[in-house]
Amino acid sequence: MKNPVGPVLRMGEEVEQIVAAIEDDNPDTDIEVIDRGSYVRIQGEDRVVLTEATLQSYLGADYKIRSLENLLASFAGRAITRSDSITWERAGLTAKEGATR
Amino acid sequence: MTLLKREEWQDFVRDVDWTLSYVDEEAAFPEWFSGTGKVPREAWLKWEEDYKVSYQEYVYTQREKETSTYAVKAALSRSTTFDHLDEGWKSSTKMHFGGVAQVEYTAVLAELKMARFGLNGAWRNMATFGQLDELRHNALTTYFGHEFVVKDPQYDWTQKAYTTNDWVPISLRTLFDGIMTTSNVVDCALQVPLAFETGFTNLQFVALSADALESGDINFANMISSIQTDEARHSQQGVATLEILVEHDPVRAQWVIDKGFWGSARAFAALTGPSMDYYTPVEHRKQSYREFMEEWIVDQFVRTIEDYGLKKPWFWDEFMRGLDTWHHSLHMGMWWWRPTLWWKPKAGVSKDERDWLREKYPNWETVYGDKWDVIIDNINNNNVEATLPETLPYLCSTCHLPCCNPTQSRDGSWRIRNKSLSYSGRTYHFCSNGCRQIWWKDRDNVNHQTLVDRFLAGAIQPMTVEGILGYMGMTPEVMGDDPDYTAWTKDYVGREATGLVQVGGAS
Repeated sequence: MKNPVGPVLRMGEEVEQIVAAIEDDNPDTDIEVIDRGSYVRIQGEDRVVLTEATLQSYLGADYKIRSLENLLASFAGRAITRSDSITWERAGLTAKEGATR
Repeated sequence: MTLLKREEWQDFVRDVDWTLSYVDEEAAFPEWFSGTGKVPREAWLKWEEDYKVSYQEYVYTQREKETSTYAVKAALSRSTTFDHLDEGWKSSTKMHFGGVAQVEYTAVLAELKMARFGLNGAWRNMATFGQLDELRHNALTTYFGHEFVVKDPQYDWTQKAYTTNDWVPISLRTLFDGIMTTSNVVDCALQVPLAFETGFTNLQFVALSADALESGDINFANMISSIQTDEARHSQQGVATLEILVEHDPVRAQWVIDKGFWGSARAFAALTGPSMDYYTPVEHRKQSYREFMEEWIVDQFVRTIEDYGLKKPWFWDEFMRGLDTWHHSLHMGMWWWRPTLWWKPKAGVSKDERDWLREKYPNWETVYGDKWDVIIDNINNNNVEATLPETLPYLCSTCHLPCCNPTQSRDGSWRIRNKSLSYSGRTYHFCSNGCRQIWWKDRDNVNHQTLVDRFLAGAIQPMTVEGILGYMGMTPEVMGDDPDYTAWTKDYVGREATGLVQVGGAS
């Protein structure tokens, strides 16, 4: 993978469900999962998105996306947080796309 | 009632930059604190972090983090988990507690400085969260270390280490006073949130947690990785500041990051390297220090700075070569000067451990094997005294760590070279070209005196090993020693010994 981006989650019981949610939210991106025991590196090329709606389908309707921070020990790329989603993407990706519009 | 989404109101409420009328701009944001340099003041209006949180979100999430961290601690405090941990691993934690707990308070001051003098309201807002984070880390680390004081007095250095004149905290104070305490906020953002927290703290707080968990120290693994979730958020001050600085003054951006990177690389070689490659029991090592460095620093951090238009640091080749030597040399040095440590350094060079080291570092045996063999043979011949320090090592004038980095000659031999320079009638010694270059460029800075400087100036009395240990605050119940000599020397009992050393004289 040339420009892997994505979260590094520390140990926690929700990790498997979060990986599943990321796979659902990024159907066109190969998601690589590297498990080092106390942390799990989840990455895709250039951009990885995770939405609160998909998280709630795995972790219950009460789950708030801000709670992801409990497990978000690190990440590759820039992490762009919105109230209902979080996107990890390579720096400059959005700006470059904007320029071609 | 439907609440507005955060992105519908946050830009408005944190835009607290107004035109000053009672004082001029320079009085409120003096250059020596705010450090805008060649960047026009209006350019900072574009400062924006990607990783946003509201105060409400911050409080809810931090409460959840604290609840879960203390719940694990409470559950495990009733178990015998700690008593069954390997002494080597315990030393990794002692080193961490003493080396990190009170540095976290210095980080509070760095964040407070950015919260006051950062040239954008969004930056100051984020740094306000940052200082609360660092205060949490200071309290958490001190409290978690304190629990073990009753079981082992070395844990008392969780609180004590950073204010003593032991050589390790002098080295740490030199680094952190440089990047946290005395820097202007722009340089601080590039060196602390960016180089240190986006890069190196991942190594000690996430990568090391993998070894902690394997070693059975769930409590420690949980604490350090929880701390890094705060760092991951507030470290975004670094790239937001870099984006603006690199546009107006890329030369400064590159230099400041390079300097922060180098200082951090030296410190982590001492702090994290021995923990991962010697103290953690070999069967519990998830990866080598070099492999973790490649994952977190060489791949992840370098990709980050290259994404923002910077290059690899000018010392890159020296740094990469150092991944095979720096921490091995520092480990041997720390083991040798073990009475100066508040932990029990495990030599970790039994035959199995050496097999692992050779597999991970093909040159290890050539560079270090014969030195450890001399030490092993002296111990097996009841000559432990010959393996204790009688004098001080040269300490580097920049990183304050021992000058012990070997480099290979054209003829294949490995030697520690004299890297010095003369300035204002004095000769200064350095461990590496990187440290020498940084010192020269910053030569007018006020620096801490190394322990050797203090010794030669007569500040340490009496001028003996006992005098030095007293100056460092070392007391007999804390003073470091190998936890189990037999564990790593028994494989070599009975072989023909070479290089036996007579204490106080030549061999």
